[in-house]
Amino acid sequence: MPDVRFLLVGLLMTGCLAPLSAQEKIDFGRDIRPILSNACFKCHGPATQKAQLRLDDRQRAIQRGAIVPGRAADSELIQRLLCADEDGRMPPPEAGARLSAADIAKLQAWIDQGAAYTPHWAFVPPQRPAVPSLPQAPQNPIDAFIVAQLQRHGLSLSPPADKPTLIRRVTLDLIGLLPSPQEVDDFLNDPAPNAYEKVVDRLLASPHYGERQARHWLDLARYADSNGYTIDGPRSIWPYRDWVIQAFNDDMPFDQFTLEQLAGDLLPQATLSQKIATGFHRNTPFNEEGGTDPEQFRVERTVDRTNTTAAVWLGLTGACAQCHDHKYDPFSQKDYYRLYAFFNSCDEPTLPIGGTPDLEKKIEELQAKIAAARLVGNDEETKKLQAEIRKIQGKIPSTLVLRERATPRRTFVQLRGDFLRQGEEVQPGFPTALAPAQGTDTPAAGRLTRLDLARWLTSASNPLTARVTVNREWQKFFGRGIVETENDFGYQGSYPTHPELLDWLAVEFRESGWSFKKLHKLIVCSETYKQSSVWRRDVAQKDPRNTLLARQNRLRLEAEIIRDVALSASGLLNPKVGGPGVYPPQPREVFAFTQSQHPWPESTGPDRYRRGMYTFIWRQSQHPLLTTFDGADAQVSCTRRNRSNTPLQALHLANDPVFVEFANAFGTRITSEGPADDAGKIAFAFRVCFCRQPTAAEAQRLHAYLEARRKANPATAWAAVARVLMNLDEFITRE
Amino acid sequence: MTPHEWDDLITLHHTRRHFFRDCAVGVGTMALSTLLARDSAAQQRTEPLARDTAAQQRTDPLAPKKPHFPAKAKAVIFLFMAGGPTHLDLFDPKPKLNELHGQKVPESFTRGKRFAFIKGDAKLLGSPRKFEKVGQCGMDISDLLPFHKQIADEVCWLRGMRTDVFNHGPAKCFVNTGSPQFGRPSMGAWLTYGLGSESDSLPGFVVLQSGPRGPRGGAALYSAGFLPSVYQGVPFLKGPQPILDLAPPKGVSLEDQGEFVEAVRDLNKLRHDVTGDPEIQTRIAAYEMAYRMQTSAPELMDFSQETRETLELYGVEPGKPSFAANCLLARRLVQRGVRFVQLYHTNWDHHGGPTENLEQHLPQVCKEVDQPSAALVKDLKRLGLLASTIVIWGGEFGRTPMGEVRESTGRDHHIDAYTMWLAGGGFKPGYIHGRTDEIGYNVVEGEVHVHDLQATILHQMGLDHTKLTFRFQGRDYRLTDVHGRVVHDILT
Repeated sequence: MPDVRFLLVGLLMTGCLAPLSAQEKIDFGRDIRPILSNACFKCHGPATQKAQLRLDDRQRAIQRGAIVPGRAADSELIQRLLCADEDGRMPPPEAGARLSAADIAKLQAWIDQGAAYTPHWAFVPPQRPAVPSLPQAPQNPIDAFIVAQLQRHGLSLSPPADKPTLIRRVTLDLIGLLPSPQEVDDFLNDPAPNAYEKVVDRLLASPHYGERQARHWLDLARYADSNGYTIDGPRSIWPYRDWVIQAFNDDMPFDQFTLEQLAGDLLPQATLSQKIATGFHRNTPFNEEGGTDPEQFRVERTVDRTNTTAAVWLGLTGACAQCHDHKYDPFSQKDYYRLYAFFNSCDEPTLPIGGTPDLEKKIEELQAKIAAARLVGNDEETKKLQAEIRKIQGKIPSTLVLRERATPRRTFVQLRGDFLRQGEEVQPGFPTALAPAQGTDTPAAGRLTRLDLARWLTSASNPLTARVTVNREWQKFFGRGIVETENDFGYQGSYPTHPELLDWLAVEFRESGWSFKKLHKLIVCSETYKQSSVWRRDVAQKDPRNTLLARQNRLRLEAEIIRDVALSASGLLNPKVGGPGVYPPQPREVFAFTQSQHPWPESTGPDRYRRGMYTFIWRQSQHPLLTTFDGADAQVSCTRRNRSNTPLQALHLANDPVFVEFANAFGTRITSEGPADDAGKIAFAFRVCFCRQPTAAEAQRLHAYLEARRKANPATAWAAVARVLMNLDEFITRE
Repeated sequence: MTPHEWDDLITLHHTRRHFFRDCAVGVGTMALSTLLARDSAAQQRTEPLARDTAAQQRTDPLAPKKPHFPAKAKAVIFLFMAGGPTHLDLFDPKPKLNELHGQKVPESFTRGKRFAFIKGDAKLLGSPRKFEKVGQCGMDISDLLPFHKQIADEVCWLRGMRTDVFNHGPAKCFVNTGSPQFGRPSMGAWLTYGLGSESDSLPGFVVLQSGPRGPRGGAALYSAGFLPSVYQGVPFLKGPQPILDLAPPKGVSLEDQGEFVEAVRDLNKLRHDVTGDPEIQTRIAAYEMAYRMQTSAPELMDFSQETRETLELYGVEPGKPSFAANCLLARRLVQRGVRFVQLYHTNWDHHGGPTENLEQHLPQVCKEVDQPSAALVKDLKRLGLLASTIVIWGGEFGRTPMGEVRESTGRDHHIDAYTMWLAGGGFKPGYIHGRTDEIGYNVVEGEVHVHDLQATILHQMGLDHTKLTFRFQGRDYRLTDVHGRVVHDILT
């Protein structure tokens, strides 16, 4: 089958939907920069200029003769790409694959058209584009952008999903639970034209909205209830988790949300809540291992804060520049340490919540002693002191926060990322390519703080934050961002499938007061969101990856939500919001592979049936539900989860005692709440799980199974049916 | 192939989510098998669950994939000595060190170095162990490892190992993932991602554990990182049910379970007819493989098929969890097509002190692993499996020539020189590679950095370490980061 493979790869790699004709206008950002960035910039880019050639800079590329505008044939770039001599041809084999004929053709056409360079689209602040005008103008601007693009490719939106699918979809996306049969009936029986909008408003007002949206944010925050590394001791930072839930429920504007998390401690008369918010950057792992160098790991945490900030707000991969100038993006090592400098002067205290000031003082004293004991490598003393802190923390709730030092630490470029090798001194500052107008590296009275950073991130002149944020929100509702590389908006990132829509949404989000609820309502009320997810042959042929959204995508639910839907169906769900982590049953063997035998005081009573997001997270030995269903690993910021599909998932849903318990409860619920007859019960069970009626074939198959199980054991037959339903693909999928 | 089938092949293929991320390797094979599975699934709707699938096309992401070039080895067994074994008391005798015992280490050795626990002025500690030169190769082996003496000429000895990080967690992470920071895929995940697994009824990457506690670092050590989670290591549990949730629920027989899986399959197919989502096909395949795991695991775990002589070779006591039992299990896993088996044995962290000193605890842990490690090599060889299986023995770093002064003696973590060994899989047997200085502090010849070892192991598995990549955050990541070179000197 080698031919097939090559053809497929060829088809896939072109990426572009419509073939480019020679006359078509080449767009540098869309068509050319990805090729140059992928194949050339590593050696002829911002960081390295082999043979004094720099291709990311038009002037220098022309001076060097690599590009002769209007004359592709005379351009050395093209000559070297087509060079007959293997040794002379670019790129050299060790640097990467040769360019395809299609890519070379694009480069030729681009040079012939004048070789225009445009600034990288993502580094230019978004302007609100005009909404495309269509003969039948859609109400929702999102649809205008989507439909216009579909039409260009000879496609159209799919019909709307049926009402049962729709209410299940939007309920799962907004609150992460199943709608109750009553809620489904209310919706189905509501003839009002705004029946759907009413459902959306109800969901946005639900306290569970905050939970569902917070869990996405906690992925970015690398939230966990333990310290990580080898000892992985417990920590108390759940008040931060609850702060995020509350912020979403209150629809806290995203600029304020940013400000409080990055710099809440620096706000004048900071409230307790604003201090708790700084827990965002206390979610870094913390090494308690004996014999560690405290400074080394403080530096690692600061690096983590730098990288996380770059990834979450700027959609940039800062980590490369920790050791050297970025190979692809205009992000120098100095830029990196300027950003790092914002976080380099933080102390890391524990804040009692509702405790007394002397308790805070006591904890602080103990922490100072721990630091001293670590310095001299006194393990036993360290352990003793840690136990003492835990004892105090056990008495009062507390959380981890940031606090700026009175005298800032000096920050130096770390040569090759080694904190022992100091380079040039730098001051806090924004990346030059994004904020060219800022000051220099001379220490001045006007030293920038984390407050300035937060304000710059959400300022209208910042080209990235709004785009990166709306893109991640889009990803929640369609499974893929408008920019598919949600964590890379740099040169190596993918070009937006709908650049105008992205910008329109970014500006809309900012100008409507950074409201997540308004943004979410806008998205879920669009026809694009509401359309059916059923596979279409024409879409599969013209747009195989469905990037143009001629249909919705079926998405497997996240780990925690799988637990939540099973709890919903079983009727066992305890809807309590917030509080310390809980311990639903898990096999004792989970800890066999860690150094420490952590306590797992299995929750009894109502805490056993809390939502998945409240399960206590031991970083190094997470609950198997999370590891099996692609939960965030809580080591580093996670901007998108995988959605894998594995045999271990099958084993977990089919056999895990927790899910078996849920299935048994669901079986009981079917018999007690469903109608008297089998067919009615099956229909009831289907409505609970899928909000819809079974087809005749489905009802028949399930009935056959019921009869077989009845013969084996009439008492457990409905529980067995329940177990089958809860193992179906549709059960753990948002259609 | 008709044009219609051709369409299907392409469209089916394209509609798989995250296509680029999930299957950068073996593209054509997978598409075809997906198509075949769809066709055969349609025909088999009313047939009972397939029990024997050897002849069927694999549709799962663990289906075997072609390497970059012909492979010398097919499987890896990594005997991970967690904590950092002392090369100076086991494999690398230093008369000069004994001579300088009790003296301060010359400053020329320690300038600019950092240690976990000891200070720069620590005193040298000679080794009380007796060494013997064994085999044709004349390898020096400590009296603590008598069984190792029997395999001296089967083993490729690396005396010039070097690593970058000196705390346990980051160092273990480094050996496994090529990075000291948690969150990257481990070697087993990379290998199953690149090569799939020969087994269709067991996970491709299995992790076994013995000793008093689990390895520091936990699940991150066998994580799939940013690779799809199907490639993550599956930790086997102690006891007859090795995989979490493998046994059907209480009161459900294996036959009942078969009926359950059939019902789930049929209803999933009905939904597939409506939605057309190929992901449902993958889920059906996942349930079928899960079911095969349930039926094949008891056979895997049943040591009664092994002869008494084999059990004695390893030193396995039936019913008792041990490193020996894990070595035998590793051989059985490899026999059944598992790609990567990693055994963690704790604890090798001999700093000195009441629970981890060189006087009592080093001999004890040596006794636990010596016979089974040697037995594994011998057993694989007599079964004809050694040539295609790489056995790796070693930890995250070595230990210092300087002693730690506690109530008993010990040594600190040492990253500049230590010993590991490999056997089988095209590594030179009876070959000693690398040499350290006269106190065993630095490598003077034949240095093998952790990234070099990783590159070489991938090479023997038929993979180019610079080409086995995964795009994440706009960059192609690989096991060896931007480092690593294949050490051809140690290959046959």
